[in-house]
Amino acid sequence: MSTLLACDSLSMRFGGLVALDQLSLAVNEGEILGLIGPNGSGKTTFFNVITGIYQANEGRVDYLGHDLARMSAQEIYRAGVTRTFQRSRLCLPLSIFDNLMIGNHRRLDHNLWFNLFRRAAFQAQFEEQYAKARELVRTFSASLAERLFEAAGSVNMIDRRRIEICRALISQPTLLLLDEPSAGMTQEETRELMDDILIVREHMPGLAIIIIEHEMNVIERITERCIVLNYGQKICEGPYARVAADPQVQEAYLGTE
Amino acid sequence: MKRLFDPATAVPALVSMAGGTLFAVLFLHAETQSAVMGLTLGAVIALFLLARFGWNARATASFAGHGRVAQGSVLAGVLIVTAVFHDQHFPLLMLATVLLYIVVCLGLNLQLGYAGVVNFAGAAFFGIGCYTAAVLTNHTSLPHLAVVFVGGLMAAGIGSLLILPVLRTYGHYAALITIAFGILFRVFLEVNDALGGPQGMKLPGMQILGWKLNDSLQFGGTEISFYANYVLLALAMAAIAFTLVRRLERSWIGLNLDAVRLDETACAAFGIDVARWKITAFTLGNFLAGLAGSVYAMMTGFVAPNSFTFGDSLILVSIVILGGIGNPWGLSVAAAIVLMLPEKLQFIQEYRLLLYAGLVILILLFKPGGLMPRQVRNYLPGWKP
Amino acid sequence: MTLGLLSQYVFNGLMLGMIYAMVAVGFTLFFGVLDVIKFSHGDVLMVGAFTGLATYLGLQAAGADSPLAQLLVMTLVATLSMALLGALIAKYLVLPLRLAPPLNTLLITLMLGSVLREVVRLFYPQGSNPKPYPRLLPADFVSFGSFTLRADSMILLLAGLAAIVAVHLLITRTKLGLAIRAVAQDAETARIMGINFEFIVLLTFAIGSGMAALGGLMNGLYYNEVNFGMGLLLGVIGFSAAVIGGLGNIYGAILGGFLFSALQSVGAVTLPALFPGTSTAYKDVFAFAVVIVFMAWRPTGLIAEKKSERV
Repeated sequence: MSTLLACDSLSMRFGGLVALDQLSLAVNEGEILGLIGPNGSGKTTFFNVITGIYQANEGRVDYLGHDLARMSAQEIYRAGVTRTFQRSRLCLPLSIFDNLMIGNHRRLDHNLWFNLFRRAAFQAQFEEQYAKARELVRTFSASLAERLFEAAGSVNMIDRRRIEICRALISQPTLLLLDEPSAGMTQEETRELMDDILIVREHMPGLAIIIIEHEMNVIERITERCIVLNYGQKICEGPYARVAADPQVQEAYLGTE
Repeated sequence: MKRLFDPATAVPALVSMAGGTLFAVLFLHAETQSAVMGLTLGAVIALFLLARFGWNARATASFAGHGRVAQGSVLAGVLIVTAVFHDQHFPLLMLATVLLYIVVCLGLNLQLGYAGVVNFAGAAFFGIGCYTAAVLTNHTSLPHLAVVFVGGLMAAGIGSLLILPVLRTYGHYAALITIAFGILFRVFLEVNDALGGPQGMKLPGMQILGWKLNDSLQFGGTEISFYANYVLLALAMAAIAFTLVRRLERSWIGLNLDAVRLDETACAAFGIDVARWKITAFTLGNFLAGLAGSVYAMMTGFVAPNSFTFGDSLILVSIVILGGIGNPWGLSVAAAIVLMLPEKLQFIQEYRLLLYAGLVILILLFKPGGLMPRQVRNYLPGWKP
Repeated sequence: MTLGLLSQYVFNGLMLGMIYAMVAVGFTLFFGVLDVIKFSHGDVLMVGAFTGLATYLGLQAAGADSPLAQLLVMTLVATLSMALLGALIAKYLVLPLRLAPPLNTLLITLMLGSVLREVVRLFYPQGSNPKPYPRLLPADFVSFGSFTLRADSMILLLAGLAAIVAVHLLITRTKLGLAIRAVAQDAETARIMGINFEFIVLLTFAIGSGMAALGGLMNGLYYNEVNFGMGLLLGVIGFSAAVIGGLGNIYGAILGGFLFSALQSVGAVTLPALFPGTSTAYKDVFAFAVVIVFMAWRPTGLIAEKKSERV
């Protein structure tokens, strides 16, 4: 397995607060990597830095020949990195289809002339994308797939989560970042969601996923490898079983006697 | 997908349009204050009752499902009103003014309603179009169609000077810049004698390829007011602007604009160039305002600084909000009401700004979507999956 | 440029700067506490000035004619009534729209400003004409050669300074001020800590509006005139000043106020010198143009605006 993403001495400071401290880690092509650690350990900050929302103070992030630390969020998306957010960021007044198409930005033609005057061609592109969107959503929920033109605000929280994940998947990324996808869900819903993600992954060979989670069952079940962060540093790495047994990790979560 | 024309479902739209046209004719015809008040109250009560009996919902659905019918019937309605008042200057002047304001407000809607770019200098950009036309028609022999186009370009161009602060994330920066610009613009006009100072400038009437719009027409044996020419021109402009703005909304570009308005962070994360779309909306919107301004100046034959105050910009914004922010049909209806009501109900002329500002406050508190709230995007009307 | 003329300009500039600073502090307070730009602030200033005027006329009619007493009562009535108005605006217009897009709050306060302006124009007797303001301050002055020091200017400057210092002390030295700063930093945590969010918001708006009233009175007393439209320009200037200084920062607002006044003075003096024949009205064009350019360069102001979004 070759390395897809490698960050080297990545640091991120907010004033006096050090969120990422010389962090170095690697993600392999096609793997599912778990990113865990206590609250405030820098997991979401890591996502924000490699997706260009924040600009790192130091370090580099090598990805398919690019340095993500020097790129804008839009450029990073075009390079095939997508994500979900910890707090739901759907455009609720827009339709579900609209929200999905936001995620599909790089597959659409945004030329003024095309959109205004070449309506037949536009219709063809629209129908093609609708079919793709519907098929993707159907993997997660058959009923939701029939409601694509309803407002995103009209569906329940679980469906909104599904829509967000589909939004991140629809452009066929190479690297997908999931930020606490199971938050607020029951065990059953979580298991279903994870299974659906795995099904989609079967159709996208080479898709690597980094998943931030506090729900350890999820990490145990679907990740091949874990990285544990604490205070912005990597403190442990390896398969879940090994990581869970590591005394440093246990101390980070539970403290000492 | 084949679109089948189902006559039955188009009927409510047609009936509504007929009713609206009839009302417009009666309203414009009314002379006494009591007649006007009576008509207005009657209309409000009628609408309320119709809503009760579910007619409004059926009419809305009918309009939504038959775009071509809706547009065609509106065109027909305007032409009918024009024909009825063919020999009276004032109603036709008002009609043309409403149509031109619809063009401006469509532009404002692009900025505010779609892209979420605040612009409190709408009247100033309109004024740029007016003054450009004044200067060009008085000092050059540029053909008038080109003058109109240049008016639009000037508005867009000057607007682009403000673009950098307007792009900033928080709307209040754009608000401040545009308000300051509006004030600046008016002061600049007033102290500048080359542009006529506080008295303003006069303009010759419009002439397109030999067609003198300030000449009244003869049709059969009847004399038609020359304002009818402007009504036709304004109608064409409004129709084109309307179609373009709607097509824009019903496309990936419309989606980008909405996304920019709703969540810039998500936009960035999914590759949407926020600056590009804000600039597009702001520039296009100002262009439309300038275009309308040029025609308006040539129609009225006169420009002066005190027509382009901050209060006027606020009225434009009020039209967009009252009608239903993001809804071009709503803004058209609102424009007609906001502009025509004070002309007919003289006693509210003085209280215009107070009335509209108050209404907007109420709308924002209780019905922020406006009187005709915007619907979910329908890329291809009539299309079924 | 004689010393006398210079001293006039300087005092004028300081006076204006003080008034702008007071308006700017109001803007910055509102933004700090609720992330809200209350566009009606300038018009609240105007209503405060008119309230003072009405009080004066009432006192005159009632026979009370000691200037000091009149001044005190005017100040009291104007400040308290505007404080009340500010709190009402917060409660009924701003707080209900807290969860709506920020655009809505911007719009509603802008429209409210128009309503205030129009109400005064339409319903105050002869509201559309400028109204003379009573001369209640001592007219004495002290001369140092050609340099004159007017007593009324000094008094107003000191009063303004006192108001700003008082607000500063309130914010930094009292428990109430601490609560205001807590809410400004993180409303949710402040609530959890037991601070009554709504009360603090209303109070902040009241304080800001009270200061605006003071500014309105000062404006009226200095220029001996008020008119219904004075709030618009002052509001825009005050907002610009707050932005230059960095929204949310009180010192920045004060700095911005004086900076804007300095810009106007520079414009008024240099433009006619550089381009003979330009009227002094261009000073506003100049000042705003500089503000626009400045905001293009440094949109978050001299001292950075506070950011508060969690991604």
